[in-house]
Amino acid sequence: MKASLSLALVAALALVSCKESGSNGKLTIAVIPKGTTHLYWKSVEAGANKAAAEFGVNVTFIGPQKEDDRSQQIDLVRNQALQSDAIVLAPLDATALRDAVKDVTDKGKPVVIIDSALADSSSFITSYVATDNREGGRIGARRLAEILGGKGKVAVLRYLQGSASTDHREEGFLEEIKKFPGIEVVSAEQYAGATATQAQDTATNLLTRFAEGDGLSIQGIFCSNQTNTYGMLQALRGKNLAGKVKFVGFDCDATFLDALKKGELHGTVLQDPVNMGYLGVKSAIDKIKGTAVQPVVDTGATMVTPENMADAKVAALIKTQVQ
Amino acid sequence: MSIRSILTLLGPFLALVVVYCIFGAMKPAMFTSDVALNVLTQTVIVATAAIGMTLIIISGGIDLSVGSIIAMASVAAATLVTEGYPPLIVFGGTIAFGALCGIVNGGLTVGLRLMPFIVTLGTMQIFRGGAKVYSHGTPVNLPFDTTTYKAWMGGSGLPYGVWMMAALVIIMTLVLRFTRFGRYVYAIGSNENTATLCGVNVGRIKMMVYSLGGALAGLSAVMVMAKTNQGDPTTAMGMELNIIAAVVIGGASLSGGEGTVIGALIGALLMTTIQNGCNMNGIPTATTEVIAGVIIVIAVIIDRLRHRRAA
Repeated sequence: MKASLSLALVAALALVSCKESGSNGKLTIAVIPKGTTHLYWKSVEAGANKAAAEFGVNVTFIGPQKEDDRSQQIDLVRNQALQSDAIVLAPLDATALRDAVKDVTDKGKPVVIIDSALADSSSFITSYVATDNREGGRIGARRLAEILGGKGKVAVLRYLQGSASTDHREEGFLEEIKKFPGIEVVSAEQYAGATATQAQDTATNLLTRFAEGDGLSIQGIFCSNQTNTYGMLQALRGKNLAGKVKFVGFDCDATFLDALKKGELHGTVLQDPVNMGYLGVKSAIDKIKGTAVQPVVDTGATMVTPENMADAKVAALIKTQVQ
Repeated sequence: MSIRSILTLLGPFLALVVVYCIFGAMKPAMFTSDVALNVLTQTVIVATAAIGMTLIIISGGIDLSVGSIIAMASVAAATLVTEGYPPLIVFGGTIAFGALCGIVNGGLTVGLRLMPFIVTLGTMQIFRGGAKVYSHGTPVNLPFDTTTYKAWMGGSGLPYGVWMMAALVIIMTLVLRFTRFGRYVYAIGSNENTATLCGVNVGRIKMMVYSLGGALAGLSAVMVMAKTNQGDPTTAMGMELNIIAAVVIGGASLSGGEGTVIGALIGALLMTTIQNGCNMNGIPTATTEVIAGVIIVIAVIIDRLRHRRAA
């Protein structure tokens, strides 16, 4: 009895202190990413903070601990809706988050979707601010076709079931690669999994499947985000195959830059997460203030190659994603 | 070994052979040394931790925090490498760090007489969160030119990690069978009160079991770092369930007093074989998950049927 009483007291105190922290008259906007471990999300945060400083609002940046914990992200959306004026969300799942978002918008609070699409949501969300992921996949396909000289066998390592952004990249890639009659896709059914370690195992097994003598029976590989590109790179290095196969990935970290320089990675598609965070928050503010907001905002995708990585514009973009 | 314990091992072993052969019949490449090498290498991380978990489960306990210990210790290992420490310190330091986590689990369980299930459910969050707090949620990358650890989980031929796994299985099997400590672990798991009455220092043995479990999780973390070239605070999420499944498939009883280290190894190999076999045959990932789950359930059902007959 005593214990439960003191627990209740602590809970009440915690609630009171929460209430006080957000009440300095400014608008509060919650930015909910898919996860917090990737540098990518830290760049989104940087963009969101840039908008916060520019427009004088508070930004709360809070994400689930694991990149496939949908249930925790739903809870975050519902909790943040109680204490924020608007929500900027990168949904982990195109449909799982839909009800939670609809509940928030039904109560009159705007929700801006960033990074990944939310299914059948154009009627209630404020705006969809993201990389055109299909286009990102197409850029990847064109690059791979170019360095393969338009012929060869390629494999696609997918990321995670239900992740709309990577699904779209993979579909965009597969659509575009069909335009090259000399290129055959021999595997596109394997999903890497949520962590780099899982991705590395899946990639190693995939490479073993296509082993041929000392090399591979495939000439090209495409991966659709940071996790599976990293896993594939580690798998290629582990089997001493790095550089022996044309490899185009997605996103970026310091390891990828090293691999680009060494000729182990032949291209990677870069998004603009800073711009995404910035435009996400800006769209939410515009909506609250009654300014017109575009329903779809493209934040752009760039192919980084060993040849162009030193160009000033590309180098600046790389800097937003690599420390 | 008695006939009975050989039979207990034979079940999981047969399951492993049958599953491997079914995949092999569908895709003969399963029988190449490359695939066998992948299966062995990809088993190291789970199996190393499962050896420690076997001891804990035999003693009647459980450790749900093992995945988190691996994640936190992998961050510690990667940090030691980036600070320029030699391999001996990296291995020693990380194993000691894991052991320390195990001592926390054991101390809370033994000292405060708490349920290990609940204690380690809590420390699972503490260790996972601690890893993220320390690393600011991002992986700690090794310097790019680091090749010192490559041979442990990759390179040409059998990686050191596989030899290490085999050596650990042999050593711990001998320890469990032929040392007083080993017999006490079984005794405590069978009946803690009887063990106490027989003069076994139950608390001390349990502390040893949990710290050994933590130390092996630390060693497993060094393998994670060697494999991925980074210490990732989000790695091994949910791996505790694979580790516990490996131990149980291998014939251990969650109520304690029963189980073998070699059984746990076979259980871990079985799960890796399913992953590999499905990938090699181009079976989609979602179907693979179903198949893995079904095989685990079947393995456990067969095990229970055998027990009922024996009893």
